[in-house]
Amino acid sequence: MNWSALKLLFVHEMRMLLRSRRTIITSVVLPLIMMPVMIMGSRFAQQQQASRIDQTTFEYAVTGPWSDEARRLIKRYKDAPEFKTLRIHEQTSVDPESALAGGKLHFYIRTTSIEDADKYIAGNEPVSGSQAALRPVGVPALQIVFRGNQEVARSGAERMLDMMRAARRNESYMIMLQRGFPSHPEGILAMTAENVATQSQVSGSTLGRFFTVVLVMWMVAAGSIAAMDIIAGEKERGTLETIITTAVGRNEIVTAKQLAICSVALVITFIQVLNALLYVKLRLISIPQSFVIDLSMTHFAQLLVLFIPLAAALSAALLIISAYAKTYKEAQLHFLPLYLGSLVPALAAVLPGLRSRSIVAFIPLANVSVAAREVLMGRPDPLMIFVTFVVMSLTAAALIRYSATLLAREDIVVSSQTDQALLAGGESLFQRRVFQWFAVMWAVMFAIAANIPQLQTMRAQLIFNELGVFLVGSLLMVRQYRLDLREVLGIRRLRWPIWAAVLMAVPAAQVVALAFFRLVSTVIPTPDDLLREFARQMTQTSLPLWQMYLLMAVLPAVCEELAFRGLLLHGIRNRFHPVVRCLLVGMVFGIFHYTLFRIAPTALLGVIITAIAMMTGSVLPGMLFHLANNSLSIWLESSGNTMNRLDGSAYLTAFAVFGLAMHMIWRYGKESKERG
Amino acid sequence: MLAEHSEPSASSAPAAKAAPVVVRNLTKTFLDESRGTIHAVDGVSFECREGEVFGLLGANGAGKTTTLRMLSTIISPTSGSAQLLGHDIVKDPAGVRRSLGFYSASTALYPRLTARETIEFFARINQYPEDKVKARVEALIARFGISKYADVRVEKLSSGMKQKVSIARTVAHNPFILIFDEPTVGLDVLNAIEVQEAIHELRNDGRTIIFSTHIMSEAEKLCDRIAIIHNGRILACDTLEGLRATTGQHYLEDIFVQYVKSPV
Repeated sequence: MNWSALKLLFVHEMRMLLRSRRTIITSVVLPLIMMPVMIMGSRFAQQQQASRIDQTTFEYAVTGPWSDEARRLIKRYKDAPEFKTLRIHEQTSVDPESALAGGKLHFYIRTTSIEDADKYIAGNEPVSGSQAALRPVGVPALQIVFRGNQEVARSGAERMLDMMRAARRNESYMIMLQRGFPSHPEGILAMTAENVATQSQVSGSTLGRFFTVVLVMWMVAAGSIAAMDIIAGEKERGTLETIITTAVGRNEIVTAKQLAICSVALVITFIQVLNALLYVKLRLISIPQSFVIDLSMTHFAQLLVLFIPLAAALSAALLIISAYAKTYKEAQLHFLPLYLGSLVPALAAVLPGLRSRSIVAFIPLANVSVAAREVLMGRPDPLMIFVTFVVMSLTAAALIRYSATLLAREDIVVSSQTDQALLAGGESLFQRRVFQWFAVMWAVMFAIAANIPQLQTMRAQLIFNELGVFLVGSLLMVRQYRLDLREVLGIRRLRWPIWAAVLMAVPAAQVVALAFFRLVSTVIPTPDDLLREFARQMTQTSLPLWQMYLLMAVLPAVCEELAFRGLLLHGIRNRFHPVVRCLLVGMVFGIFHYTLFRIAPTALLGVIITAIAMMTGSVLPGMLFHLANNSLSIWLESSGNTMNRLDGSAYLTAFAVFGLAMHMIWRYGKESKERG
Repeated sequence: MLAEHSEPSASSAPAAKAAPVVVRNLTKTFLDESRGTIHAVDGVSFECREGEVFGLLGANGAGKTTTLRMLSTIISPTSGSAQLLGHDIVKDPAGVRRSLGFYSASTALYPRLTARETIEFFARINQYPEDKVKARVEALIARFGISKYADVRVEKLSSGMKQKVSIARTVAHNPFILIFDEPTVGLDVLNAIEVQEAIHELRNDGRTIIFSTHIMSEAEKLCDRIAIIHNGRILACDTLEGLRATTGQHYLEDIFVQYVKSPV
């Protein structure tokens, strides 16, 4: 390494960045201005909303056999000091449901007789265990009905509910007094909780969950602005070719660029942290009184040890992406997947029970997230901080090394060589763009589906993902690049043993996947709550069985296979080693399946189906496998059967059957491919 | 003065009287997903002598730029070899780059640097002796008549001024070999003449210059020897007089057409 050349190049890069008005405005000025503007805007909106709610007289109605009792309670408690500001007005309405839908009422109170209330509980909410014992029976029910999407109405309904709860508490106290129990209901047992953790530890635990995510967001945002200018911008301006014809080596060029991006990312992140602290000091950002972060110099140094190699790794990743882009605008598009993708491991600290002294220490970025949380909680693990530092440093070194090789690649530095494909379009261009398409599809699935209320149910999500994302995305790719659908899908006549082997492989693969899932669970423990919630969603009674088969088996088999084993596999067929191709398609398939816990088993399923598609040269056996696999899962869930009690011999048999089936698919698939 | 023979230079003059540039069977093959294998340069051989302007004359896509990019180590050859002042383009690319100045239509300037900063940066990065950088920069600023604009950012200069700064940065480290890849593309007549004059002056200073163009008049005017390149192969290489004698044609355009239509 020529250090004087490196210094000269680094100073040059920094000078170029500091003289770029676009860089300074987007990375420093805008965030500095935007944060207080957003905070003040949000505060103003909140104040306006609060004053609107305070000034609103909530229109309501009361229905049902216990209406008079409800009215009595309202009359009695509405003048209580805590509810004095609640302005309410009762309307007489024969059809409160229509009045609510028409906006004439903010909410209405539906009362139910004892018999109906008990019937409702028995029929709709079968509860078990301790919850059943707590649920009162033999009492009338009172329900406040409102529209949750209208904020003012929701606020009124919530305040009415608070009033009714206070009334219930007071009334029951009065009844106890009348019946000779002069004790307050809460006076039966003195109950307090003692938190032995310091406030700093509690605050650190809360902050630690999101600390890495926020810093990664800032670092990627700031670093990407520098990275765009530093390589993609240089290509666009034509200065990259100028610099690589000088006496300085490409290692020095890449290292200087890397250092510049890293410096910008760290400095701007530091400015953002100071910025946030300033707003806390100025009380623009309000935090609870109990929120205390007591960070010693040792802890601060430990955080630096964690975050500096992380910044280096992120900068190298940004440099690589920027190198692949030919223009500034193209680089902007390429950074989005990195931005979103880096947030997934950065959220590792949110997972309950995850400790750095586990395999997580070897997963880049996730290890920093977990270790940083432990530092902020005041429980740092020096050994694992060291391991994390080594892993992140090696990751950064590997990425930097790779980025150095990129500047030696002719298709990267001499953009004219790649223009032919752009001009020709079609198949060759598709092969270069296929990953971009899937990145956009992934972003659409997560960004749009998470933000549209109408897509919050499982049914809506499945329809949107399968038809709106996978099917429409695939058809757009076919149309845009004039692809031959028959060739993409590999539609050909296949020998019958392939179909038989596929059906044979499905149950065996389920057991293999279960074994794999258990193995993964030892590394990333799956919270029980999450498993229960997922099982509940899978088997929710509101979705008829035929819809479950249609939405969870038929549609995924068709749409996902068209996208992953059809378009994606076709798009990368001339790239990568076959094993890498198979793993890559499986991995992308896994990443599209939401939670961290599902990625590994779904990726395994993806690898199996990809292997089948590659062995047979057709997407059709994979479709059958996918259909049969998902149908079997639905049947197992809906019929209450599980595979939790399998013993060792069952696993061994499953592995043997699976191996035999895959061998048959390979053998007859090869024959089918040779016959064309 | 573009060159400074009396002063130590970043590049060294050839020790023996061997040709400063020796190219042997240079080949470059690209693999394009849509078009298959492309032989951009197909066994090119030539030598450039000290103090001559060697012209590569060919139509667009003939292989001129690819050849010059290989000589300047931007891309590596598929096979064959080339030495610049004895430095092999594959084994010693850094030595090659220290010995040459590369100028093409696609080698742009940093828009946010001033003219003075640009020349200074390229002198330093090409390892021109540190204690002589300032003097060299001032000399080049004076030579190209850019004193008035020396401290103005490049992005604010006219295209003619940019051209001058661009040549100044190419020779900032006083290289012995200079490569000019279609330097007058996109320039108006006056600016093109400025560039041609600069090349002429550099030749008179004893520099070895490889010059590519598709403009016949430029080749006629500047080149001591001309190589006609077509489809990645050199069809002929001689002085203008030699080419005239071989083909019986007077104008270079006719000579070029004769070689390209019926290769010798």
